[in-house]
Amino acid sequence: MPAFLTAGRLRAAAVAVVAVVLVLLPLVSSPYVNYQVTTMAVFAVALLGLNVVMGYAGQVSLGQSAFVGIGAYVAGYGTLNGWPVLLSFVVACLLPAVVGMLVALAAARLRGLALAMVTIALPIVGTPVAKRLSDVTGGSQGLTVSWLEPPSWVALADDQWRYYVVVLIALGVFLLTRNLVRGRVGRSFAIVRDNEAVALSMGISPYRTKVLAFTLASTIGGASGFLYLAVVQYTSPETLSFGTSINLVVAMVIGGTGSLVGAVLGAVYYVLVPVLAGQLDASRTALLSGAVLLLVLFVLPGGLVSLPRRVHQLLTARRRRSATTPPGAPDGQAGTPALTSDGVAP
Amino acid sequence: MTAETPDLAREVHDARWSEMTEDARPVAGVPALRVDDVTLRFGGIRVLDGVSFDVAPRTVFGLVGPNGAGKTSLFNCISGHYRPNSGSILLEGVETLRAPAWRMARLGLARTFQHPALQLGETVLENVLLGAHSRLPGGPLAWSLRLPSTSKAERASRAEALELLERTGLRWAAHARAGELSHGLHKAVELCRALMSHPRLLLLDEPAAGLSHGEVDRFVETVATVRADLGLTIVVVEHHMGLISAITDRVMVLDHGAKLMEGTAAQAQVDPRVVEAYLGREAVEDEPA
Repeated sequence: MPAFLTAGRLRAAAVAVVAVVLVLLPLVSSPYVNYQVTTMAVFAVALLGLNVVMGYAGQVSLGQSAFVGIGAYVAGYGTLNGWPVLLSFVVACLLPAVVGMLVALAAARLRGLALAMVTIALPIVGTPVAKRLSDVTGGSQGLTVSWLEPPSWVALADDQWRYYVVVLIALGVFLLTRNLVRGRVGRSFAIVRDNEAVALSMGISPYRTKVLAFTLASTIGGASGFLYLAVVQYTSPETLSFGTSINLVVAMVIGGTGSLVGAVLGAVYYVLVPVLAGQLDASRTALLSGAVLLLVLFVLPGGLVSLPRRVHQLLTARRRRSATTPPGAPDGQAGTPALTSDGVAP
Repeated sequence: MTAETPDLAREVHDARWSEMTEDARPVAGVPALRVDDVTLRFGGIRVLDGVSFDVAPRTVFGLVGPNGAGKTSLFNCISGHYRPNSGSILLEGVETLRAPAWRMARLGLARTFQHPALQLGETVLENVLLGAHSRLPGGPLAWSLRLPSTSKAERASRAEALELLERTGLRWAAHARAGELSHGLHKAVELCRALMSHPRLLLLDEPAAGLSHGEVDRFVETVATVRADLGLTIVVVEHHMGLISAITDRVMVLDHGAKLMEGTAAQAQVDPRVVEAYLGREAVEDEPA
C-alpha cells in the first residue's frame, strides 16, 4: 500500500465521500428513492438506540418499538395541536426517556429471560392502550398529519426537505452516541455486559449503568419516532407493536451488534429487503426475507458489518494454503512423515 | 488524536506520584485495613468465623491456608463482593460495609481476580483505561458532547495508562487485543488496570496461579516496585509459598473459616498448627521427633 494511504487519511476520505453523496443524493434521485433512504435514516436511529442497550450494554430489550411509537405519537399530537416543531422533538425524546427509565428502574434488577419478558410487556400493553386513547392517538385509525413542508425560502420539494431534516438529525444522534460509547460511559457499558463482578470492583454500579442504557435507548427510540412521523406523516398502533420490536432486533443482529455502522446496515436491510422481496414475488415477501436472514446469519454471524473482516479472513486463509502446499504435491504427502518410530522396545 | 507525548506523560506521572504520596500518608495509628470479628454464613455453613486482623499502612499482608479455608470468601468480603453476616471492615478507619460494593473503588480499594477477567476483544490499553473509571469526571451528557474537561481527562488517563504499561514492560502490547496475550501477561494487564484507579489498598487474588517460575519472579519484582513507588498497602491471597515469603511482611493463616495464627511467613511455615492444617494430624504424629 502506498505510504500516503494511512488509515486516518483513508477514513477522512471515506467520510468526505459519504458526506458528498448524502448531500447530493436527494437532488438527483427520484422522490421514491429519497423516501426510502430517509426511511433508512429513521430506522438507523431506532436501531442505534436498540444497539446502545443490547449491543453495547448487553441487556435484552424487546420493547424498542414502544419508544419509537411513543415518539411518533408525541410528534403527531404536537403537530395536530400546533406545537412548535422543536417542542415536539424535545417532548418526543423526553416522554419515551421517562417511560424507559421508569421501566428500567424495576427491570434492570432482572436478567436474561425475566428481563426480556418485562421489555416485551411494553409493546404488548402499548398497542391496546394506543387504540383506547383515541382522543390522543386517533385509536386504530392512527394519526395522519401533514407537516414539515419546506419553508418558502427553500427551493426544495417535500421529499428533499424532509430528507435533509431527517438525515441531519440522524447524523447528530449518531455523533452524540459515538462520543458516548467511546469514552468512560462506553467502557462502563462494555464491562457491565462482559463481567459485572469486575464492573463492581472498578467503581461501576451495574444497576445504574443498565438504567442509563435503557433510558438512552428509549430516548433515541423516541427521536426515531419523531423522524418516522416526519417521513411517513402517519402513525398507528402498528408502529409500537411487538412485531416491529422483533423486526428491529433482527435488523440489529443482521447489521452487526454493538456497532454504529452495523446500525446503518441493519436499517438498509430493514427497509430494502421487504421492497426487493416484494418486487421478486409479492406473495412471498416474508419467506424471502426469512431466507435472507438465515443466509446472512449463516455466512456472517457477526452481521453485515463483519463482511470486510470475513473476506479478509477467507483471502488470507487461501493465500496461506497455496503458500504452504508445494505445487504439484498432493496435500499431506509432501516432505517427511509427521511421526516415525524406530527401534522402540516393548 | 491521543496525546502520547513524553512531556504529557511525564507531567501526569509527576502529578500522580506527588498526589499518591499525599494520599497515602497514613493517619497515625489507623490501620490501612481493619477486619473485625467478621462472620460469613452461606445457608447453614459458617464460611468465616469471627476473623479479625489489622494491616498496617504500606505493608504487604498475606492470606494463606489450605483449600476451602475461606481465604477467597474473606477476600470477597473485603472487596465488597460478599456481605458478611456480622463484624466490620474498616478502610483507613472508615466502615465499608454500609457502602454499596461499587463505592469501594472510591474509598481507595482495587483488586485483581484469580482468573484474569479482561475484555479479550478489546485492546490492552482499553482494558487498562477501564480502571480510571472512578476518577474520570463527567456524566453521560458531558461525554456525549465531548466537553473539553472530558477530552482532557481522557487524554491524561491514556498517557498514564501507557506509562503504567511501560513500567510493567507491556508498552509494546498496548494496541494488541487482550485475547492475543498469554495468561501471564493477562495478570500484568489486570494489575495495571487495578493501579489505574490510584488505590491505596490493593487486593491480589492468587496472583501466581498459572504462572511459570520466571513469570512469578517478574511479578514479585513488579509488586516490589509499584509498592515502593506508590506507597501501596497490599493484601494477597496465595498458595505459592515462595511468593508469600518473597513479598509479604505478615501473614494470617486461615483454617475452616477461623484464624489459626498470624505472624511472618517464616513463622507460619514452622508453626505446628499450620503444618497440621495443611498435612493432617496423622502426618504430624507420624513424623519422627
